[in-house]
Amino acid sequence: MTEIGHIITYAALFTALFFEVFLLVSFLERRFGKTVHTPKSAKELALPRVAIVVPCFNEENTVAGTLDSLLSLSYPHGKLEILVIDDGSTDRTAEIAHKYALDSRVRIYRKKNGGKHTAMNLALAKTDAELIGCLDADSVVEASSLAMLARPFENKNVAAITPGIHVREPKTFLQHMQNVEYLLSVFNRFMFSALGSAFITPGPFSIFRTSVVRELGGWRHGHSTEDMEMALRIQAAGYLIGNAPSASVHTTTPHTLKALFRQRVRWAYGFLRNAIDYRSMFINRMYGNLGMIILPAALISIAVALFFFARIFWYGAHTVAQTYARAQIIGISFTPSFDLFYINTSAILFLIYVSILLIVVLISVGSLISTGRRLPPSSTPLFIIFYGFLVPLWLATAVVRAFFGTGVRWK
Amino acid sequence: MEEPSIGTRSMRWQTYATAFVITALIFATAFYAANYFNNLRATEVRTAQDNVFIDILSLETQFALLASHSCSDISENSVLSREIGPVGERIAYLETQASVEQDSLVRLKRYYSLLQIKDLLLMQEVSEKCGLEPIFILYFFSNKGDCEDCEEQGYVLTALSRDYPQLRVYSFDYNLENPALQTLIQINNVENDLPALVINGLPYYGLHNVEDIENILPELTALQTTESEDAATIKR
Repeated sequence: MTEIGHIITYAALFTALFFEVFLLVSFLERRFGKTVHTPKSAKELALPRVAIVVPCFNEENTVAGTLDSLLSLSYPHGKLEILVIDDGSTDRTAEIAHKYALDSRVRIYRKKNGGKHTAMNLALAKTDAELIGCLDADSVVEASSLAMLARPFENKNVAAITPGIHVREPKTFLQHMQNVEYLLSVFNRFMFSALGSAFITPGPFSIFRTSVVRELGGWRHGHSTEDMEMALRIQAAGYLIGNAPSASVHTTTPHTLKALFRQRVRWAYGFLRNAIDYRSMFINRMYGNLGMIILPAALISIAVALFFFARIFWYGAHTVAQTYARAQIIGISFTPSFDLFYINTSAILFLIYVSILLIVVLISVGSLISTGRRLPPSSTPLFIIFYGFLVPLWLATAVVRAFFGTGVRWK
Repeated sequence: MEEPSIGTRSMRWQTYATAFVITALIFATAFYAANYFNNLRATEVRTAQDNVFIDILSLETQFALLASHSCSDISENSVLSREIGPVGERIAYLETQASVEQDSLVRLKRYYSLLQIKDLLLMQEVSEKCGLEPIFILYFFSNKGDCEDCEEQGYVLTALSRDYPQLRVYSFDYNLENPALQTLIQINNVENDLPALVINGLPYYGLHNVEDIENILPELTALQTTESEDAATIKR
């Protein structure tokens, strides 16, 4: 049993390390290998018309900030329209939004509550812009972001461009940990796009080519993760999804464990259910990097996280039981001593350290490509120490719910 | 400002191969490092065992010269080399390390068992000649996973050794292939029903707690009482 446990541990560590190294090697190849294609400096007139949708459901506290940031975008006035879709709010969202209707760029629509995908589809029907994007009412954008996101659409095969997403004004312990996690996601998203393998077009400010979205039939419920379902559909249709990490979006993240847990269960559940729907992509050479490494790695990472958690939990429980049994017999005594002989130098521990070091490197690269700062945030150690214990909790819940198909709710 | 990344999903096998080779190198380094440090540990244990061996040899030689020395000289030095305790702990630690080479570990255990047996014999001989009454326990365990109470019995004996420094506990892996150890097992008629203790030549099977052993060995508590009285006299 112990032997099998060791073999699985080594296999899991090899898989995790291989994936980290693969992304880093791909990044270095891209940066120092071939010449990177630099798009022509686009003139203002060449920029396409863009519709930004703000789906709202009871967002009275945040909608004003979101609309203010959209109206401050450095984008030609005549080429930007903002569609606020009030998805059946019961608070003051509509009243606040209407104050912004004085601006010619803002249009407001009200409908019965039906979920984010229905709000997006209503906007799709109401606009004739070439590009359509979404900004959740809990997010704000930097002024230059939209132009950065619009330019890559010069390439006719591009169906969507995703931004660099950051935590908005992190305050709590949890938000600081998420801030680090988001930088890691910035790197991952950047490399997934470089490998033609992005499988999520996140809600905050991903921009789509309207014609492609219409061709694909609009947004779907997608197991409460319509951003993942749309990305997979775009991939299945053979279009490209790019990433502009310097186009910064700041989104409000959960500040309590309960809210974070609910959000992440929804994400993980959505991934698992969409993975079932799009299972034909997995280990399918037709989908290249996406089918052969990115999607399988995303799925395996869930199993690996759960395995390591179970193993650490098992060892922890075993050690506590042993210490208790020992204390029962010889009492509790603590005499501090240091002996180099007893320092753990096992191969497994060494590999775990290397894996953690690589994660810190990836976080640093994420920080570099999105903010220009080379060093990871000071809260990185918190993320390394504590996040690994939180993630398996929502992954396990999502796995159980996905297995029984019980579903998840947005709020 | 980082340029947007837009790539096709076509696979570059060179990238996969490079990542695989780098990962394999990291693994090889990890195994090499673990093996290197374990070898260092094994060497340290071997050196400690050699020191114990020299101590025992020295004691044997001293004993052979008993005719020209007083028993008090011998009895003062007859405490087993202080290094043997840590050696036992170190070997027990190495046994928990998955990457330790098994052949090397078994050799260390055999050597350790022999040292303990030699010390036991020497102690018995010295005691007989000098009229000492040594208190010792032979403890037989198994770490093959077939002895549920061995771990707990180990804790009990650790507690006893701590409370009674004069008590000598000789612990042996029952399954270790060592002719001298097997002879010791036969002489004491120890059956494969572990954990087993041999106290005053009699085998006891199953888990025995501190009180059980104190009842079997009343000399232990008497020893403690005498020590307390001595200490009180010195204070006065």
